[in-house]
Amino acid sequence: MMTRINQLPTLRVDPTKKVVFDYKGKDYVGAHGDTVATALYYNDVRIFGRSLKYHRPRGLYSLDGECSNTCMEIDGIPNVRTENTLVKQGMKVKEQNVKGSAENDMMGFIDKLDFMMPAGFYYKTMHKPASIWPVAMKQIRKAAGLGVLSPDFEMPGKFDQIFPSADVVVIGGGPAGMSAALASADKGLRVIIMESRPWLGGFFDYRTFDYRDENYKNNKQLYSRARELASKVESHANIRVFTHTSVVGTYTNNLVTGFQIGKDNDKFTERYIEIRANAVVVATGCIERPLIFENNERPGVMQVGCVHRLARTYGILAGERAVFSVGHDLGLEAAIDLFDLGMKILCVADVREDGQNPHLMIELAKRNIPYLKGWVAAEAKGGKRVKGVVMTTLDGTISRDFDCDLIVASAGFTPLNGPLTLAHAKLRYDSHTNFFVADKMPEKTHAAGRMLGLEDSLSIEASGVIAGLKAALDCKLMKESYGNSDVDALKSEIDATVAKQKELPGPARGSKFVTAPVKGRKSFICFDEDTTIKNIRQAIEMGFDVPELIKRFTSAGTGPGQGGIPGHNLPLYVAKYLAASGAPPKPTTVRAPLVPTLIATYAGSKHIMMKRTPMDDMQRADGGVFRKIGVWERARYFSDDFSCKKEIENVRNNVGMLDGSTLGKFRIHGPDALKVLQRVYVSDMSKVKLGRVKYSAMCNDDGCVIDDGVVIKLAENDYYFTTSTARAGATIEWLRYHTRFDGWDFYVVNLTDSMGVINLSGPNARKVLQKITSEDVSNSAFAFSGYKEFMVKDTIPVKAMRLGFVGELSYEFHVPSSYMVSLWNMLKDAGKEFNIQNFGVEAQNVLRMEKCHIILGQESEQRTNLLDLGLGFLWDRTKKDAKTVGAVALRQAENDPTRFRLVGFEMENNGRAARDGALIVDDKVRGYVCTARDSFTLNKAVGMALVESHLAKVGTRLEIFEDECGGERIYGTVVPMPFYDPDGTRMKS
Amino acid sequence: MSLTITCPICGKRNGYEFRFGGEDKGPRPDEDSLTPQRWCEYVHLNECVAGVQKEWWVHKDGCGSWFTIHRDTVMNVEVAKPEADR
Repeated sequence: MMTRINQLPTLRVDPTKKVVFDYKGKDYVGAHGDTVATALYYNDVRIFGRSLKYHRPRGLYSLDGECSNTCMEIDGIPNVRTENTLVKQGMKVKEQNVKGSAENDMMGFIDKLDFMMPAGFYYKTMHKPASIWPVAMKQIRKAAGLGVLSPDFEMPGKFDQIFPSADVVVIGGGPAGMSAALASADKGLRVIIMESRPWLGGFFDYRTFDYRDENYKNNKQLYSRARELASKVESHANIRVFTHTSVVGTYTNNLVTGFQIGKDNDKFTERYIEIRANAVVVATGCIERPLIFENNERPGVMQVGCVHRLARTYGILAGERAVFSVGHDLGLEAAIDLFDLGMKILCVADVREDGQNPHLMIELAKRNIPYLKGWVAAEAKGGKRVKGVVMTTLDGTISRDFDCDLIVASAGFTPLNGPLTLAHAKLRYDSHTNFFVADKMPEKTHAAGRMLGLEDSLSIEASGVIAGLKAALDCKLMKESYGNSDVDALKSEIDATVAKQKELPGPARGSKFVTAPVKGRKSFICFDEDTTIKNIRQAIEMGFDVPELIKRFTSAGTGPGQGGIPGHNLPLYVAKYLAASGAPPKPTTVRAPLVPTLIATYAGSKHIMMKRTPMDDMQRADGGVFRKIGVWERARYFSDDFSCKKEIENVRNNVGMLDGSTLGKFRIHGPDALKVLQRVYVSDMSKVKLGRVKYSAMCNDDGCVIDDGVVIKLAENDYYFTTSTARAGATIEWLRYHTRFDGWDFYVVNLTDSMGVINLSGPNARKVLQKITSEDVSNSAFAFSGYKEFMVKDTIPVKAMRLGFVGELSYEFHVPSSYMVSLWNMLKDAGKEFNIQNFGVEAQNVLRMEKCHIILGQESEQRTNLLDLGLGFLWDRTKKDAKTVGAVALRQAENDPTRFRLVGFEMENNGRAARDGALIVDDKVRGYVCTARDSFTLNKAVGMALVESHLAKVGTRLEIFEDECGGERIYGTVVPMPFYDPDGTRMKS
Repeated sequence: MSLTITCPICGKRNGYEFRFGGEDKGPRPDEDSLTPQRWCEYVHLNECVAGVQKEWWVHKDGCGSWFTIHRDTVMNVEVAKPEADR
């Protein structure tokens, strides 16, 4: 265990609060505020895992999760970015992609086999002969990859989603972002600021250098300036702060998405945040551009910010003897600060010829730190961790060895442009800063801070204020109530701030240096995918000249770091290599999510919301076995016998009750109501008579059946109609869509939830009904296909229909949902003497199948038209003026011999029923079984199938192929439909 | 996801509340003298403009009305009615 510097004012950990966690089965102790990575480092863990391809040891590098080096398995979740995850009591941490341990990985030898794996080797090898691939694939999958997910793993934790709106969203909680947020909020606008670290402060947060560095003394230090800004932001009534929140996407219309990691007492582990804003400020700052040299990812090589923040934020000195090889002033500043904290700095090499901050040069000299201008690290020495470094001049002519345990390396900066490019900004290469900068900004989006190349503190803050004011102006211009004079005042304030900023230092010149003068066999441009400089050269020599294509071919930048490590270096290197062509560097494409995100976070909380009918409780009390059917939970069975023998026999011989409340129920009225029905129903709806029920169907423009149901005329241009359960939600939309050009006057009301339906079926159904109503319900007064309205007990208004879906004497009662329970109980009481029983959806399914009544979706699929189903009789061809939906297509399909036909069949030799969905075959697939069951009523197995028309003739033998039948076919024979009560005497009497 | 749509009745709302109803292809053609070819084109063929197109949307989670908007299909944003259509 290392010693922690406990007394720093910049610390973000509380060393007095211990956190005990488990690493590979042993207890380790970190401090409250530590990330998993810093806590492990504090416990002397240097090798965090092994790399994807070569199994090279990998360790702490950036401290912001820009590469997969420190991805580990935590509490069973693989690939957790430990640099961004706070350590918690009892956490279980494991290394991944190792055979043995990260320290001694038996697959480590692969590193020596790199000569066998040039760029794109997996595209070119292992495919001849073809039989080698399955073997090779198995081995590669075992050796490569990162974490492993168990197939029955269940994600622990609570996930949530929020959808806030704001006037201005500020991405980035550094000095520029905070200044922007304050500027907008002070103008009365509602601001949201998002920061990926658990605190606001950005790159000021860990620095003790002077805020105003003119005279370099006795002024405010940067970290305290950051905390001053942060407390202003946090206490501002108009600003909502989301810390530990990474932005993952930005979109047109100023939509910003991100995810937030919950704190100890938050009610969520992670939550998805989707913000709709009027204006966006992007102040994401910079990450460091990696310096490329031999073994540049050996544990012990770290970026400047990583080493500096380890010390200042976490109180950990990363090493004892350090060599710096840098290309920017933050590197010099870190060397000075770390020297003061007690680190031995052997030398500071700087790739820049000039442009260094003279104050920093003086400070280096004061401390006698050797400064090597024009030198660079060429090779890290040491097997599993850094033991030394070879330094060389930029041309590679002179070199010197140092014994050290830490190499602090950084070539320059990379602006985090992702949020801009995702929102369609176009990037341009700027040779002064060496950055890709946004040329054309998305609407109402403004950039600020370091990503513009600014390095001066005051200038960074000023750019934030300008962006905040501009965003405020965007918002004000959208609100009409805002006066012109206010807009003018805001505009002149912006002009004044811009003028003031012009007096401050502008964008700094950026270092263009990418790679040390080495061959590059072990110089890694991408850590996630183990891509070396040599691989990039191989790709270029094979003819790839665009960074985006090289990225695809070598897979550089396609790992969990989302291009954080190679994203900037790759285009710079390619441009340099192809310098003769004179083309400027072209950036690779950035895509959402900008930061790897758990799918669980996108999914949010587990919310299963099923609709329940008014009869739900009572059916459950009666032993109903419920299933999810569409948006509903319905009683499918009423016993453990899923063949429903008793339920079926009771309906056939006695009387049963079914809850049909899930049917879609609608009323349409108004002067043009009939025209609407003529448009969507295939039948002639003008023929619907009062007191009668009309069965009809709706088709789509291809003539395919989408719905069937009954229509009842209540009065002139006033109809009540039902739809299938599945179509209830879309019916009104359908009606209005297909009449949208007509300007018809009609009203349509969805009564699906306000009306319940009870189906009373069986030979004794009339006797039961007679007991609850004085209405004449005799066969002559209330015949098949009849409709009646009456009151039960002078209270319950009942719409009663005489139907025959199950093939027996059958009534359907439509009553207001609130009366459903009462009516149900009355029928149950009345039916007691006949031993009335519930029947469920499955019993109904068998009953109606025996009668060959179809259920759409079972006897049809998307391509099944009205004629295929034998329902052509419903279609009225004479109403051309109605422009009936589907009629044109039906006319065109009428004589088409290639269409399927619905047929009934019975199984041969008393065989069991074929499974639903089984295929009808000969040497080809010729159709499929829609529904087939062993019929208790008929004592044989029967079913319906959709088959090619040449198989539709009665007597045709059908060869049936079932899944996993092992070549054993079963056979059926086409028979006439319906199977049960062909004359319909039972349902009509 | 980022789309907002202005419903003529409810005003500017989140795009999640709406369902797409296809390009505006005009009213249904008369059935007399309609060739299968023309019908198929009316039902199935689209212009798929990369740019501003007029299209139908329904406010499914709101008032339920069908209406047209103009949308820039490249940027996926609702735009004002072009001069030519006014």
